[in-house]
Amino acid sequence: MSKKWKWILGILAIAVLLFLGAYFVGSKLRPYAYHGMVMQSTEPPGDFTLIDHNGNRMHLSDYEGKWVILYYGYTFCPDVCPTTMMQLGRMMPLLGKKAKDVQVFMISVDPERDTPERLKEYVTYFHPSFIGLTGTPEEIADAAAPFGIYYKKQEVEGASDYLMDHTASVTVLDPEGRVRLIWPYGTTSEEMAEDLLHLMR
Amino acid sequence: MSSTDQPVPPANAAEEEEFPEERQLLPSFGNIKLVWFVYGVFGLLLLITFGFVIFQPIKVLPRVRLAPGYILTDQDGVTVNNEQFRGKLTLYNFTYTRCQPPGCRQLDAIMKEVQERVDEVETYGLPIEFVTITIDPEHDTPEVLKAYAEELGADTTTWHFLTSDDPKQIRRVVGTGFQVYYKALGDGEFEFIPTMILVDGWGIVRGIYNGRVYMPETERILAHFNVVASEAAFSKGANRVGYEAAHLFLCYAD
Repeated sequence: MSKKWKWILGILAIAVLLFLGAYFVGSKLRPYAYHGMVMQSTEPPGDFTLIDHNGNRMHLSDYEGKWVILYYGYTFCPDVCPTTMMQLGRMMPLLGKKAKDVQVFMISVDPERDTPERLKEYVTYFHPSFIGLTGTPEEIADAAAPFGIYYKKQEVEGASDYLMDHTASVTVLDPEGRVRLIWPYGTTSEEMAEDLLHLMR
Repeated sequence: MSSTDQPVPPANAAEEEEFPEERQLLPSFGNIKLVWFVYGVFGLLLLITFGFVIFQPIKVLPRVRLAPGYILTDQDGVTVNNEQFRGKLTLYNFTYTRCQPPGCRQLDAIMKEVQERVDEVETYGLPIEFVTITIDPEHDTPEVLKAYAEELGADTTTWHFLTSDDPKQIRRVVGTGFQVYYKALGDGEFEFIPTMILVDGWGIVRGIYNGRVYMPETERILAHFNVVASEAAFSKGANRVGYEAAHLFLCYAD
């Protein structure tokens, strides 16, 4: 092979390497556009203790090391909660192997009617790994307030039943318990999975 | 010593002959421009990045943590909850009306000044609300707060004075939620860190003001209203990448 061709090949190889390098650096520098709202929390909002759907007492801190997803809802919820729970359920298979590092909780804001048994039947319908949580009104208030969750009983005129008015967003905690992402109501399962997989890299 | 002073051995005679030949080859090779193009793109990317980090063309405020969810009662006895402030900018402070001036009342005075001057700020249509939560709910009933608001001369159309008939709820919201330290000392006295907190339309804490500042508080808070409102107004489409980069590179407004 002549010297000229060595030069040409060498220059081409450097060009390709530089191009790949620039592409790599460029793609790393461009921030990923999350579908949810990214938080820069440096510490966890705090622990809480509730009863899981098997009747056992749990602490949020027991789940450190997992990506924890919190959703506050109730089983009598007519439309908003089932929609969000369904999206969360569809998200799980999209996570592939990483699904085992994710734990979804639905925290009842209606402890009067949501017994552990009823919660279990409800949440496992959406995904077998999901866990429903309930507790005393006091415990639920303590578990909801630090996560920015508001809820209130809404009496419906002329009906014996009532509705719960509540914050409909979904909160993602990292394995250290810090809030990392908020998904507004209406985020799809694909968007959730994309965001989570990017966070879990 | 002597070894480093040794002259470099002369290069191979054959190599010396070949090099000039190769150098002559280079300029005649048209595709060499590709290398400079790649160098150029790479250099430009680096320059843009350094430029962004050094000059910080976009300033943002960090998304510190979630503001708490709550239901409380205002000075007119009407229930108020955090969801009512979704999509608005809200400035919170905490007080107790039995506090002797100047003490904690300084922040109530700053709140009033900010409320009076809020029209000076370009917020791109984003409404701004003010909330004062008492840390002394047993004494500060809605009636007491109403009188206090009148004494301050507060415009209660956008400034809400909140309390609760359940002291635990105040502890939950102010202590655990907003992470403001306070402790009852008895005889209507409290030990607490006077704090103001800016919450955005997502219910996320964007600014915490508790004395460690560089600018007069009023100016700083007014400037921050504009920073958060600008992000809400312009962080869309391609611009969103710039705003998220500002968050990534910690380009925080003073």
